[in-house]
Amino acid sequence: MLSEKRLKQILYGIAILAIILGVYGFYSRLLFGERDVNYGSYVNWGLWVAMYLFFAGMAAGSYMIATCDYLFHLSLFKGTGKYALWGSVVTLPAALIFIGFDLGHMERVWKVYLNPSFSSLLAQLVWSYTLFLIVIFLSVWAVYKENWDLLKPVMIIGLVLSIFVSGGVGALLGVNASRATLHTAMLPAQFPILNLSSGVALMIVMVCFFNVVGDEQQRRRLIRLLSSLLSILIVIKAYFLWVDYSQALYSGVPEAVDAVNLVLFGPYGWAFWILQIALGMVFPLIVFVQNDTIKNQFLFGAASVFVLIGLAVGRTAIIFPALAIPELEGLAEAFTGPHLNFDYVPSLMEWSVTCGIVGLSILSFLIGIDYINFLKKPAGRS
Amino acid sequence: MSDVNDTKHDAQSSSAVTRRDFLQALMGGAGAAAAIAAFEAIAGDPSSLLSPEATPVPSAAQPLSSAGEGGRVDVLERMRVELKRALQKPASERRWVMVIDLRKCVGCHACTISCVAENKLPPGVVYRPVLEEEWGEYPNVSRRFVPRPCMQCDNPPCTPVCPVDATFKNEEGIVEVNYEQCIGCRACLTACPYGARTSDFGLTYTEDLPVADGLIVGREKADDYERVPNFEYGRQYAREGHKSPIGNARKCHFCTHRLRVGELPACVTSCIGRATLFGDANDPDSLVSEMIAQPNVMRLKEELGTEPRVYYLV
Repeated sequence: MLSEKRLKQILYGIAILAIILGVYGFYSRLLFGERDVNYGSYVNWGLWVAMYLFFAGMAAGSYMIATCDYLFHLSLFKGTGKYALWGSVVTLPAALIFIGFDLGHMERVWKVYLNPSFSSLLAQLVWSYTLFLIVIFLSVWAVYKENWDLLKPVMIIGLVLSIFVSGGVGALLGVNASRATLHTAMLPAQFPILNLSSGVALMIVMVCFFNVVGDEQQRRRLIRLLSSLLSILIVIKAYFLWVDYSQALYSGVPEAVDAVNLVLFGPYGWAFWILQIALGMVFPLIVFVQNDTIKNQFLFGAASVFVLIGLAVGRTAIIFPALAIPELEGLAEAFTGPHLNFDYVPSLMEWSVTCGIVGLSILSFLIGIDYINFLKKPAGRS
Repeated sequence: MSDVNDTKHDAQSSSAVTRRDFLQALMGGAGAAAAIAAFEAIAGDPSSLLSPEATPVPSAAQPLSSAGEGGRVDVLERMRVELKRALQKPASERRWVMVIDLRKCVGCHACTISCVAENKLPPGVVYRPVLEEEWGEYPNVSRRFVPRPCMQCDNPPCTPVCPVDATFKNEEGIVEVNYEQCIGCRACLTACPYGARTSDFGLTYTEDLPVADGLIVGREKADDYERVPNFEYGRQYAREGHKSPIGNARKCHFCTHRLRVGELPACVTSCIGRATLFGDANDPDSLVSEMIAQPNVMRLKEELGTEPRVYYLV
């Protein structure tokens, strides 16, 4: 199996390659705006919004895991909190870059601070994410300075914020009464659970792939605990999917039925069945419930990567189908033109930007654990 | 004023000259002079149609009926007069509504195109598409055309989601977009149940044309048309760089800029079937007030509680 050093070399290579691939997208987006995107006026939120949901979710989930060490002082998590915090540090900015690039006028984002409409969930989220970002950095600083008196209240605020921003994103989508598939109270309730899943999966990846827990026994026990927790969360996610889709199908509301059919049997049905269900849920469950595979930590890490991929695909399955159903019959054909399409395939430029931001996030993570002093010292050796 | 009244009389009496009169005059030997006279009577004075400012403003106590003394009055003329009357009231007392008679719409898309021309809409931006519905099986087949402007909802789902109050209902009840304030998040597009908002991605119709300087075709000349500013919301918006409205959410605004100077929305004036009616629903004598009191009136997705200000006659 791959050594940690070899794995890091490969990941550095992937990150740098992804950033190089992202140059075109960044260039196009920053110089020519949104001309080359494929989302439009009907499917008005595309890949970047889905990635924003995923990365922001990972940041929130990772912060929740950090509280196991720094707020709840669970002995098994001792020393892992700083890595969980670092996970939040590298994912939340990525999420904000994604959503910033999605704005038609990103240079006007300051208006949300100076002229906000607080009745808008979006404005509440912008403020909350800003506060959350500050809290994350403050937490890291407090850990770095070993200022435990400051850390505790900050972690309490951060935990509340991580749950609020998670649910808030679900609410942002759920309040759209005209979108039958989005307008469900389940959505705000689901997102904190899904985000916690992201955080747990990210922590398993860190523990399995990198030397973040020095003590072998602690590492094994932690992997066992986290993988058991993730198994439960995967089952809960499966239940959520069943609830969402069965409610929609039984209701018989055409828009909801069409959207679910699009997810299950549409052009991207394979993404749902293969990436989200088979690789993102079934495979990890099989790996996690096989006790003897604990000896193969790499497999646990790989299974957790697939969980993350499944969660990312799940975000797209929430956004795209809901927007891909015409609000009125005949709207798709009434007036045609660029960006007036209900069939959405991300453009090369959108993929390029996505590669670039993912690459930056991976690179930041690697640089952190390799070159920042307080992260270089693994847990369990204090 | 007398000239104006004469002109108006000509326009009103024009519809009294029937096709049969016209053909009889032509065939009966009255010759070309009679034909020309009849044609002129039919055509009337086009300036009366294009210059609402010249139209006298009757008081509400003397409403124009749809059947005047000298014959039928073109509903366009009537609505223009009613518009002038409404503009004399404070803005908050006006309630602009649009009524679309689906039985009269022939699906010519003139309203769509006139809207594009009026507001200089770029590719991918549309305020008033015409939806086509077809149902039944041969030989019992029906077809219907449904123009879909912004519904100007009284309870709009699109405004509260805006994080910066860039979209709002003005005091006349029209949902506006403040282009300079809009950050382009497109939350309002998601919230609109009618798909009535589109985003401006900064495209132009002529950008891929070959350069043909000196000719009337080609980008060098043709894009002059696209660079001319529009006058939405009473301001000038030229398409330059990444300036608004590029990057913004855009939508129908009942041609607010035209209303302010006493002109009907472009889609209303261009409707060849007079299927689109417009006016002040707070004026009990207005045409739209009469129409929305009909039993065959409906609104789109009423169950959502959005209270649209666009009514359909079916």
